[in-house]
Amino acid sequence: MDTAYYLNLAFNGLVEGSIYALGALAITLVFGIARFPNASTGDLMTVGAFGGLAGTLAGGGLLGAAIAGVGVSAAVALAFHFLLFRNLARRSAVASMIASIGLAFFLRSALSFIFGHDQRVYDLPLTRAVLFGPIRVQPTDLQVMGAAAAALAVVFAVLHLTPIGRRMRAVADNPDLARASGINAGRVMAVMWLMAGGLAGLGGVLLGAKTVVTSEMGWDLLLPAFAATILGTIGNPIGAVLGGLLIGLVQELSTPFVGFTYKIGMGFAVLLLMLMIRPQGLFARNALVR
Amino acid sequence: MESYLVAVAVVTAIYMLMTFGLNLQYGFTGLINFGLVGFFAIGAYTSALLVMAGWPLLPGFAAAALLAALAAWPVALLSLRLRIEYFAIVMLGFSETVRLVITNERALTGGVQGIPGIPSVAQALGVEGIDGNLLTLILLVVAVILVLAVNWRLVHSPFGRMIQAIRDDEEAVRSLGKHPGRFKVTVFMVGSAFTGLAGAFYAHYVTFVTPEQFVPLLTFYVWVAMIFGGAGRVGGAAIGTVVLIGFLEGSRFLRDALPGVSEVEMASLRLGVVGVALMLLMRFRPDGILGAPSAGTKKEG
Repeated sequence: MDTAYYLNLAFNGLVEGSIYALGALAITLVFGIARFPNASTGDLMTVGAFGGLAGTLAGGGLLGAAIAGVGVSAAVALAFHFLLFRNLARRSAVASMIASIGLAFFLRSALSFIFGHDQRVYDLPLTRAVLFGPIRVQPTDLQVMGAAAAALAVVFAVLHLTPIGRRMRAVADNPDLARASGINAGRVMAVMWLMAGGLAGLGGVLLGAKTVVTSEMGWDLLLPAFAATILGTIGNPIGAVLGGLLIGLVQELSTPFVGFTYKIGMGFAVLLLMLMIRPQGLFARNALVR
Repeated sequence: MESYLVAVAVVTAIYMLMTFGLNLQYGFTGLINFGLVGFFAIGAYTSALLVMAGWPLLPGFAAAALLAALAAWPVALLSLRLRIEYFAIVMLGFSETVRLVITNERALTGGVQGIPGIPSVAQALGVEGIDGNLLTLILLVVAVILVLAVNWRLVHSPFGRMIQAIRDDEEAVRSLGKHPGRFKVTVFMVGSAFTGLAGAFYAHYVTFVTPEQFVPLLTFYVWVAMIFGGAGRVGGAAIGTVVLIGFLEGSRFLRDALPGVSEVEMASLRLGVVGVALMLLMRFRPDGILGAPSAGTKKEG
């Protein structure tokens, strides 16, 4: 139990945390703009992981996996926006939330029906770990973090540098005012679902590249991603990323104390602690949330 | 055939106890319990462990209901401070944490191997000469009637009007100088006690508990039953449960009729049907199949 051991755990935590960050960012976009907690985010990640599997089978390597995974899950998210969530927008958040659980079950059932319950791995070249000082680094880990960072950069560029991004932020801040200013909410919603679906899909591909792909993998991502979202203040993209990294760190660094099996529970514990002490999240600017 | 009908009736009654509990919590009070299966598991393990340690059956059942209610108490207090969406997520996390604990605390719960050989109701009561499942059913019918009576009394009383007012407009209740907190906590604990009791019956009926029986899907079976029948209707909850069991049992016959479909694939299909049902109900019939079609603009919860 020396420093190197903890440093390696911390590094692993950051790698996992960057995957949670993608899920949390997807949740926070939906919550900020469509205003409900999307419980199908985890299973959208699974859809992305299977899309990525198809990408590698087609010989695309990790890049092909990312493109295929992002494409499939963004398309699925957009389809369900039009088929389902758009029609629930005028009702309470509870209706959309229950429907999103239905969607989660549906996606998982479709994947497990078609692909079974076996573990699958991406067909990627085996690589040797590199030592950076005391930290053992797999090249995959670097690719995971690099891809997550690139995706975050794209999202922030869209949100802050493009006209549609400005409209998305306007709708997130004050939907009524945005509508009164002539912003086309339908367009904003469609772009938002594409982005949220794509982010979730990329998260699934990266987890698939790091570990294995199963039809149940998404569920275990859901609670850490929700915890990260709330930790970083719902609706705050930077908060979602920092929250994701923090949850990843906490989960990994807690394993020597609570054991590997309670790792997922740690995400929940952090969530509870946060809600009790500071329910508005770490990065709330003002009392946006009670 | 007769024993099959008894078995189906037992399962229906167990689900009905849970649907009544959820209907009280969500249908009448607007409390979103996405962690129902956690209280069910607490009830099941409590009674199983106590009765196997030598407790008589009825105190075991009472302890199951009581412990589920006590577990609901801190969570209910949390609900007072959280937005409903946050609370829903916390409940989901709660039930998954219960499952983590029963999976990992091997010394107490047997871990993934679970607890085999739980005495059946007949064994625990030392009754002979009557079909064990029939005896379980008789006790369950008594329990359902009791729960129904409690439910009915609660709903048709000043207390019931208060919780429905909390559901419809909590701010208005506050502005009248009433505090919704105590009512919410009470309802959450009472509903969870029903669920814990259902868990105790379940443990002694199947005589075997493992963590994988307590997955979130079960929570949402009960949600489908409640929404299908119409949230906030006592009779609707009963009818919704019957329809749910009809589906679960029907899918078993369907599998026998479709030789190409394996049990694992059928499990996937059941999950998918529950998912589609939740989506279609929310989209087209949020007030339940018995309620009037929603205009689609009603604010609920």
